[in-house]
Amino acid sequence: MEKSQYDLCVEVLRRLDKAGVLKHIVLAGSWCTLFYKSFFTGIKYVPVLKTRDIDLLIPQPSTIRVKTDIAEKLKDLGFVIGFTGSQGYIRLEHPQLIVEFLVAERGRGSDKPYSLPQLGINAQPLRFLDMLAQNTISTKVEEFNLTLPHPANFALHKLLILQKRQKPEKAIKDKDAAVQILLALVDKGEQDIVKKLFHTLPKRWQKRIHTSLADLDDDKILSIFQ
Amino acid sequence: MKVIKGVLKEELDNSLRMKKDYERELARLPKGSLIKKKIKGHEYYYLVLRNRGKVKFIYKGKISEDEIKRYKQAKEYRARYRTLLSETRKQIKFLKGALRGKKSV
Repeated sequence: MEKSQYDLCVEVLRRLDKAGVLKHIVLAGSWCTLFYKSFFTGIKYVPVLKTRDIDLLIPQPSTIRVKTDIAEKLKDLGFVIGFTGSQGYIRLEHPQLIVEFLVAERGRGSDKPYSLPQLGINAQPLRFLDMLAQNTISTKVEEFNLTLPHPANFALHKLLILQKRQKPEKAIKDKDAAVQILLALVDKGEQDIVKKLFHTLPKRWQKRIHTSLADLDDDKILSIFQ
Repeated sequence: MKVIKGVLKEELDNSLRMKKDYERELARLPKGSLIKKKIKGHEYYYLVLRNRGKVKFIYKGKISEDEIKRYKQAKEYRARYRTLLSETRKQIKFLKGALRGKKSV
């Protein structure tokens, strides 16, 4: 990864931290795999291929009391507001990095953007995101702390959503990421955490995970889900 | 290979969208650059801009500090956005080339 991209990512997070917003955010998506490096210290672990978009999950949007304009905070870095999808989800774009905001979709759900007026943005509601915020870890990045989903939650979440992917290559990418994280967790001796988490999931979700792993022939991983 | 191609395709879509967004932001910025002229000890402002290939000076007179700041900021953003737009165009060229592979243009 280019150093400038990492530096820009850290600067964005630093500004969110200074604005008092970062404590309400859990990093989601493939960028997590980069920040898991410190969690897997001493273990053979290589972050997976990732795109420029960094997903920021806001698990409890209603608890944010601070009022700030995130787009304005990042404007001088060269970020511009972009809109995606037919519903107009806001994302902050820069040639090196694209910042997107997510919230957990609950109940009957809706594909309409979730408005976050206190931050001057909206967020995309997606299924299963609660799982990422249920069990988190914190990692020190420069002078601030960043909240990430526990790698076990991250891996199982990937296995859950990959069947919903419309593009097959995205599903392959999800599976690769999940397998790599699971192998690193096994090497770290944390397979029991994965096992415990798996058994707390609803039966339907467990079945989905089994289906996602159907063609995998890695005994180390398959034994976790027996 | 399929995964890498998928990532490149996604990044190309992102860059194409980003190009439009930078062009939109550039168009939104106030046109021209503010210059100061000193005439008989008094300072007056003019807006310099190009219109159909001709350089035009539009008299603005004495303007507020806020307006001076607004034009100064617009100038800075214009320069930054142009650099980033150029970077985005280079990305598009690279990504299109990478996805095209050995196929004829």
